[in-house]
Amino acid sequence: MKRSFRAITTVGVVAAFAMSLAACSTTASTGSATTATEKKDITIAFVMGAESDPFFQAMKVGAEEEAKAQGVKLIWQGDPAKYSAETQIPIVDAVLAQQPTGLVLVPTDPKALQASVAKATAAGIPVVNVDTHVSDLKDVVSFITGDNADGGSKAADALATQIGYKSGGSYKVVVGLTSATATTNVSRLDGFKAQVAAKYPGVEIVDVAYSESNPETAATNVSNWLTKYPDLNGIFAIDGTNASGAAAALESKGLSGKIGLVGYDAYPDNVAKIKSGIFTALVAQDPAAEARLAIKTLVEFINTGKTATEHEVVIPNVVLDSKTSDADFAKYTYVK
Amino acid sequence: MTNSNQTTARKPGVPAEQKPVPLALTARISTLASNQSTILIGVMVLLVVVFSVLEPKFFSALTASNILTDWGSVVLIAVGQTFVVISGGIDLSVGAVIGLSGVVSAWTMANVLKVDQTVSGSDASGPLLIGTLVSVGVGLLVGLTNAFLINKLRIVPFIATLSTMGAALGLSVIISSGQPIGSANNFDLIAAMDPKVNPLSWALIVVIVVVTIAGLFLHKARFGLYTYAIGSNTFAARGAGINVERHLTLVYALSGALAGLAGMYVYLRLGAGSPSSGTGRELDAIAAVVIGGASLMGGIGRIWGTVLGALILFTVQSGLIMVGVAPDWKKVVVAILIAAAVAAQTLQSKNGRK
Amino acid sequence: MTGEVIYEVKNVSKRYGSVVALDGASLKLHAGEVLGLVGDNGAGKSTLVKVLSGAHQPNGGKIYLDGVERTWGSPREALEAGVETLYQDSGLAPHLTVSQNVFLGREKTVKGIFGTMGFLARKEMEHDAHEDLERVGIAVPASDRPVSQLSGGQRQAVAIGRAVAWARRVIILDEPTNHLGARQAGEVLHVIKAAKAKGLGVIFISHTLPHVLEVTDRVVVLRLGKIVMDAPTSEFDGDRLIGVLTGTIQTVRVEGD
Repeated sequence: MKRSFRAITTVGVVAAFAMSLAACSTTASTGSATTATEKKDITIAFVMGAESDPFFQAMKVGAEEEAKAQGVKLIWQGDPAKYSAETQIPIVDAVLAQQPTGLVLVPTDPKALQASVAKATAAGIPVVNVDTHVSDLKDVVSFITGDNADGGSKAADALATQIGYKSGGSYKVVVGLTSATATTNVSRLDGFKAQVAAKYPGVEIVDVAYSESNPETAATNVSNWLTKYPDLNGIFAIDGTNASGAAAALESKGLSGKIGLVGYDAYPDNVAKIKSGIFTALVAQDPAAEARLAIKTLVEFINTGKTATEHEVVIPNVVLDSKTSDADFAKYTYVK
Repeated sequence: MTNSNQTTARKPGVPAEQKPVPLALTARISTLASNQSTILIGVMVLLVVVFSVLEPKFFSALTASNILTDWGSVVLIAVGQTFVVISGGIDLSVGAVIGLSGVVSAWTMANVLKVDQTVSGSDASGPLLIGTLVSVGVGLLVGLTNAFLINKLRIVPFIATLSTMGAALGLSVIISSGQPIGSANNFDLIAAMDPKVNPLSWALIVVIVVVTIAGLFLHKARFGLYTYAIGSNTFAARGAGINVERHLTLVYALSGALAGLAGMYVYLRLGAGSPSSGTGRELDAIAAVVIGGASLMGGIGRIWGTVLGALILFTVQSGLIMVGVAPDWKKVVVAILIAAAVAAQTLQSKNGRK
Repeated sequence: MTGEVIYEVKNVSKRYGSVVALDGASLKLHAGEVLGLVGDNGAGKSTLVKVLSGAHQPNGGKIYLDGVERTWGSPREALEAGVETLYQDSGLAPHLTVSQNVFLGREKTVKGIFGTMGFLARKEMEHDAHEDLERVGIAVPASDRPVSQLSGGQRQAVAIGRAVAWARRVIILDEPTNHLGARQAGEVLHVIKAAKAKGLGVIFISHTLPHVLEVTDRVVVLRLGKIVMDAPTSEFDGDRLIGVLTGTIQTVRVEGD
């Protein structure tokens, strides 16, 4: 009895992991192997941060397009919802066991994922980092990102405009973050702080808090700030999750448009809120372009042993606001 | 043993109407044990005092409404979790169900009912009612799946609900393409949740009513009695003729349905169904249940304890934000609270056995 | 002294895979009779108990209650037909109160719509549990106390009192005096006598042979899945019973058929 129970439990464990893997991954096998017989048979593994984040959904679209164009196989993997190193490391290990030809990695933690990169390189699998990077880039073919520091700086400009910044005035702003370790968060915050210090000395960043990838928690943070700082002037929501939560909190308190809100990431839902006046501005990245370049770079590197892509590539961010043209809205809004 | 003299003295023939002999020591201990709620209220008061001293603005109606609004979604899944934990199980899928049910409900309203986003007031109430039913229905389905895995395939609850958690997360991402669905900013709903308009938003009133009814069924009705009996001693429950599998099915279905309702609550709060809106909530629910005095070994737990446990959780969260403590401390404080709750429980059960 | 046959099994067998736990056992139980069921570990006692209580279905053989052939699909069916079983050490839910345990599976509900929804008449059950236990001679601890706060002897008394109070035809007691002190065991035996006086058929399973000899009318000895002896208790003394149990004395007589 006991043994069969244990066997069933084991089967259960395996089934559970199989199910969660199956649930969070979509193995897109694009391109046809038969037409590319003269080329090497290339499989690119792409491990991103959190499937539920539209940012990575947009990245997936770019990755699939490029994989198809290059005629290579794509393995798209990542945790369904949790942006964390604990969940990402086993996924990278599992993907490497499939022996892909190349690996595109969005490391969720710069140090924790360093070993995974070393492991891939040791196995002869070249690695490209996208969006975020590992601490030591020597093993990485290329690191392709949006300019997060520049994005943070542009967000500071947009927020200053919105709160009607005048020299000599005194303003209070808060920043909603997702986690203390994501390098994009850190760069955006650094860029924001640097720009504030340089151009807007009257602005004081009074508080920061983490959403832990949950928009409801982001809303909680903003609700509490609104209580603590009745004279709050502006909010910088550092990513899409925080932007959604901050917008909901402002709406529920009837403060939409009265407090400056600059968000990040052009989710369609958030873009609509620029038009309805809830968001002052959104800083948009181009994740699809990052993914396209990453795959192009890897394929080139695998086929020729070198690449024309720089070691570090920065794709600039853009600011979307009420004055942005419809064409630009269409271009930068993350696809569904 | 200390009272065996008193009890053995009660031989047949003593009129049944006579009040039971007061059992001084044990009675006092059992009063203490049932007074976990007194301790919790004490902790609550202490937290409020400390936070108010550190940040005077904390002591305000606005803060209270912030805490209650946060409490609304988690207390729903925590109440479901209370039933599950008392029955000796665990339900890890509830956080993912919040995301999935919110997404499916939002998707249905947007794509099947074709609700125009400019619709408002009473015109919105019909679609929202249907949306709520869809949301609860989705939760119910996940709950029934859990019950199937546990009862029929004999998978332990931890693994069974872990796998449905993964599946629910994945499905919600697939359905939504990872993006928030449906902007309800013109539904006038978010205003309905505004504490200034409505100190107790109607959504919160629904939550309180549901929690109260669940509490009555747990503590006053057969449904709750069987839940305790199964968690306390499954063998005895079966021996007494209780259909254990059927009852557990109902318990997991209840947990799922309440998570579905929580999904709708979060949808209303965010104005959108977002796949990540339940991320990590299952742990909040389990924390609330444990702080509330339930035992993960089964057989012990109270709704009132869970209600206070969830309230303490969000008082800590709100307080730490207001006071400006680094957010990482929230996890540390919650961990300390859980450890204290479990230690208190162990001490009580030791006393109870003397 | 004893009445008509109320419970009977004929030639029942039970296999678990290739292991034969019970091999063609037959026995009869009369109203107002206490039947001792003894045997070494692994002799098939607990298997026979499970067959009798409806927890397991036999692979072969027949069960009769009041002369009518029955098959038990579940313990519930046996319970409803009037066959109560008290399992070794596990009859009660420790977190429930005395009265909740006494009424478990047979709760009284309040009147009206709330009763339909399963709302319980707690006060009434506490009162009745108290009376029921007193009637069968249990020194009653307070009805509203959790069982976990009772001593081992009190727990067992409540468990037996519960079974005796509910049993209509047959009561099966699996090791009810295990782990009990002399005085508490005496109370249990007293309750068994009360059940007998009530006209119930009692099956008493025990390793404690003096208890068997004290309280039973007839003894059935199981060895290796077979009934090797079935005789009035008066034909045994301690040494003889041990001899039959261990096989050093060969089967003397099998009643039953």
